Amino acid sequence: MRRIAYRFLAAINPARADQARAGTGTLARSCWAQLGSCPGSRQRLLRKSLLCAVLASAAFVPANAATRPRYGGTLRVMFQSAPNTLDLPARATPTDYEGTTYWDTAHVLSLIGDTLLTLDAQDRPQPALATAWRSDNSRRHWEFTLRRGVSFHDGSVASPAAVAQILAALHPTWNVHASADSVSIDSDAPLPSLLAELALPRNLLLKRNANHLPVGTGPFLVAEWRPGNLLKLAAYEDSWAGRPFVDALEIEFGKALRDQAIALELDKADIIEATPQATNTSINGSQRPSTSSSSSFSSSLPVELLALVFSSNSKAQDPRLRQALALAIDRKPIQSVLLKGAGETTAAILPNWMTGYSAVFSTQANPQHARALLAGAQLPALNLSYDPRDPQAQLIAERIALNAREVGITVQVSLSGAEDIRLVRIVLPSPDPTTSLAEAAAQLGLAQIGHTQQTPDDNSLDELYLAERGLLEGYAVIPLFHLPLETAVSTRVRDWQPDPMGGWSGPGFALADLWLADGRQASPAPDPRHEAGSQ
Amino acid sequence: MSFRKKLLLLFAVTVLLCVAVISASVYSTIRHSFEQADRDRADAVAAQFRSEFQRRGSEVERKVESVAASETVQRIALDVDRGASDSSAYVSAAHMLAAQQQLDFLELVDWRATILSSAQWQAKFGYPEAAIADAATPPTASPAGAFLKREELPDSATLGLFAVRIARVAEQPLYVIGGERLDQAFLSTLDIPTGTRVMLYQNLDPNWNPKSLLDLNGPAAGSEKIAPLVAKVRDTQKESQGVIHWSSDPADAEVFHAIPLTGPALGPSAQSANQPGGTQQLMGVLLVGSSRRPLIELQRQIISTAMLVGGIGILVAVLASVWFAARVTRPVVSLAEAARRVAAGDLGAKVEVESRDELGELAVSFNRMTEDLAQQKDRTLQAERVAAWRELARRLAHELKNPLFPLQVTVENLMRAKQKSPQMFEEVFAESTTTLLAEIDNLKTIVSRFSEFSKMPQPQRQPTQINDVVRSVLRVFQAQLQEQSQISVHSDLSEALPEVSVDPDLLHRALQNLVLNGIDAMPEGGVLTIRTARLGDRIDDRINARIEISVSDTGAGLTQEECSRLFTPYYTTKQHGTGLGLAIVQSVVSDHGGKISVESAKEKGTTFRIELPCETGHWQTGRT
Repeated sequence: MRRIAYRFLAAINPARADQARAGTGTLARSCWAQLGSCPGSRQRLLRKSLLCAVLASAAFVPANAATRPRYGGTLRVMFQSAPNTLDLPARATPTDYEGTTYWDTAHVLSLIGDTLLTLDAQDRPQPALATAWRSDNSRRHWEFTLRRGVSFHDGSVASPAAVAQILAALHPTWNVHASADSVSIDSDAPLPSLLAELALPRNLLLKRNANHLPVGTGPFLVAEWRPGNLLKLAAYEDSWAGRPFVDALEIEFGKALRDQAIALELDKADIIEATPQATNTSINGSQRPSTSSSSSFSSSLPVELLALVFSSNSKAQDPRLRQALALAIDRKPIQSVLLKGAGETTAAILPNWMTGYSAVFSTQANPQHARALLAGAQLPALNLSYDPRDPQAQLIAERIALNAREVGITVQVSLSGAEDIRLVRIVLPSPDPTTSLAEAAAQLGLAQIGHTQQTPDDNSLDELYLAERGLLEGYAVIPLFHLPLETAVSTRVRDWQPDPMGGWSGPGFALADLWLADGRQASPAPDPRHEAGSQ
Repeated sequence: MSFRKKLLLLFAVTVLLCVAVISASVYSTIRHSFEQADRDRADAVAAQFRSEFQRRGSEVERKVESVAASETVQRIALDVDRGASDSSAYVSAAHMLAAQQQLDFLELVDWRATILSSAQWQAKFGYPEAAIADAATPPTASPAGAFLKREELPDSATLGLFAVRIARVAEQPLYVIGGERLDQAFLSTLDIPTGTRVMLYQNLDPNWNPKSLLDLNGPAAGSEKIAPLVAKVRDTQKESQGVIHWSSDPADAEVFHAIPLTGPALGPSAQSANQPGGTQQLMGVLLVGSSRRPLIELQRQIISTAMLVGGIGILVAVLASVWFAARVTRPVVSLAEAARRVAAGDLGAKVEVESRDELGELAVSFNRMTEDLAQQKDRTLQAERVAAWRELARRLAHELKNPLFPLQVTVENLMRAKQKSPQMFEEVFAESTTTLLAEIDNLKTIVSRFSEFSKMPQPQRQPTQINDVVRSVLRVFQAQLQEQSQISVHSDLSEALPEVSVDPDLLHRALQNLVLNGIDAMPEGGVLTIRTARLGDRIDDRINARIEISVSDTGAGLTQEECSRLFTPYYTTKQHGTGLGLAIVQSVVSDHGGKISVESAKEKGTTFRIELPCETGHWQTGRT
């Protein structure tokens, strides 16, 4: 139990966790003190969600979890996606975000490289390659002090010049300069969300070797890469955050969810993707997951948005028709039955835990109003497509079509033909709502369908709300659900810390920190990542 | 048409009629047999369909019964009865159970008619099931039998064979509605006779939907041709039959028997489809098609055989007619030839008597008739000759009597003058000799006319323009007519007349006589009209192109009797005429192969019309 509390504290405030580990304060006092430092509603939400997470973790922690970590072993991970490259597109289009390939690649790359900093679930920046940062009042000039003694996997020093070169290549509009121990970024326009931007996976500081494979400063380096099939990562002995406990990481791509579940059942995989069907009860009523009873499941915060997006050449150009469709959809049965109660219904892009105002956007179905809107209108038959790799998408799409039929809208669920509506899942990658909103708009292609991407100038809630309201105007997008990312882990894996944001390298939730039960006994090394940054 | 041709035609028609009657009879019998076979096959397929329908219905019932009795359904029924509201655990239950029982459709419906789980449309949970919800009273016991039902699917609707069972663990029932598709897979289970095919129309839409017509391979091609037959069944809900022509080749046609398939109108709570009197609606139409190719090919074979037999029959008829002509029609032909000779004036024609039958008797009668005709003709000629001599004598007497009387008077005057006044004798003698000479000239003239008439010359033909002859005639009378100013001449001569082969002098003489007659007929004056025209433009055996010359006067006209006797020699209506003018005209016209006619009306005038053939070659005249 003490270990669980320590994990919780490390997730919230690594510095305080270090103090607790060093015996400079009681663990419990440190936890509650940390919760108390969170502001307003977000504090209450955070307390609830994290307490739930702690209790859930406690339920799955095996009795021998208190044993010391072991080095060695190979962690086996499976993905449904099959990326053919270990690159993230510099300017991703909505097509690039389809499926999970983009974010799975991002997860993998986050093991190889580091960003300057990371954000915790409370949207607070945490040091990574940068140990400190500051900006002027106009937020046009930023300076980042880099961690000393960090080297890339190829042995080259992660010097400010090298970092500046990578950043400049990623952001040609920025003026990036290197000094002795820091990197400065200048921009003509204010960059109020620069820290959240730099924490995104696309800003991982990666170089490319002769084989165009990524070379970073992260805990793992690329050992073998078979595009679309297999990626083997080896532990980086000289990682600035300390050597990972596992010796290697073997990631198999292109594995169907069912195959992943079977592999986990047969103890051929350690970490797999999971769905609500797998994590909930079976029809026999027993609390028996479809995978092995000895495996554990973890869910992130609802950071995925399931939404309907009207294509630019959709036959549903009439906003009244779109609004009628939005009013026709009864989200609750879908959430309770098809999604097994996972996630939450929504009519907003950003989840309530991120903004606190999503209840303003009504999710209530209103077929009568929908029929009234459609009175006398010519209704074209609409084609609704979905991602066939998404095991829940087809049923959800069919249910939506059924709801639509109730109000007189003909929606045909099909994977072929010209699509009028797409059922898409997008990831809200940042706990920073402004950044997530911008990312969501980019993933949904709202700029392409006539919406000017509206980014609030500052982080005020009103501006954020107005920006989100603006994006939803015209019903080009109909948000449906915010869903968590689900992961199933075998009992062989120890100290698996579910990342609230679903990532693999968040502060306190690094995959590099887990160890395998059948590894070698070893003494844990101090974690140099737990250094405070300043702003 | 000759008797031989008639005989040939009769034989041919008789043979053809016989062949046609036999062929029609055979074809009718065969068609009847085929139709009966079609009906039998359709009935067999329909019976087989019903049997298969019954069997599959029982199978569906059994499967649904198994589902209803399964532990899973029993547990769900118990949960539902306890009021469990979370149906997420059941959403895929129907799918799993349907897969276990190999059912296409399976729905678990609670007592409120709400779908808890649907195999065919998993997303439909929470919606009402129409089959239960629309029922006046929800069934309290499992209805017996399977029934047809329209089933909505996410992207379409289909027809299924359904059964309902109730799983009642506690108080509230849980309805289990399962079924199988009634589609091409169902059709493929039927044992279809060779030459027969089966289609199924799923009556799912208010209007004709071509996609709902299925054959063994799925949606049937060319379904629009089936539409009227299906529409008829939809209208009447009764079995119907029709011939579908798939192409212009009749052999591609098929005879379809359309059999209506009905089901309960309001789901399982309504009376079963098998129960009479229940509210039924048309759920589908079973179409059993039989190819007409065997029938048409046999028909073609019959026709070709009939044509062959007919052809042979006609050939036989020709040969038979020739033989019959030789045997039967020879006396008739001889008789006809003899009749033609008789008609041509050869009264000596005889027919050889070859038999003693009716034809022989006819030949004897014919020969007797020709002998009688010859005798009659001789007697007539003799009588006519006597009459002609009498008439000639009468005319001669009349003609000669007129000048003889002045001769007698003059001679008597001379004798009296010689006796009574010799001094005046010389003067009387001179006058009397003058008179005597004049009368003697008159007698000479009369004699020369008779002589001329008796010596009419043969026409000397040469190409002649008729209009030139007419104009020369008019020129002859020009001076005379100018003196008689009360007569005007009007000529209407066609310029399109061809040259014809005539004797211009004879024709001139004939026309001169006609013009003179016209002038004589108008002592008080009038209009003399001469017209020429071409008649007919087609030259064949019957109608020859002819030239018409008409001479009209506006005189007192003639009576009908006068007209009929006008061309008789020595007949005249004039006081001093010889009656030979028009006879000469007729002789000239006749010698040229033409004919002359007269039309007359009292007080209106008379028109003589001469028609001459306009052939340029020479021809045989009737004058010998």
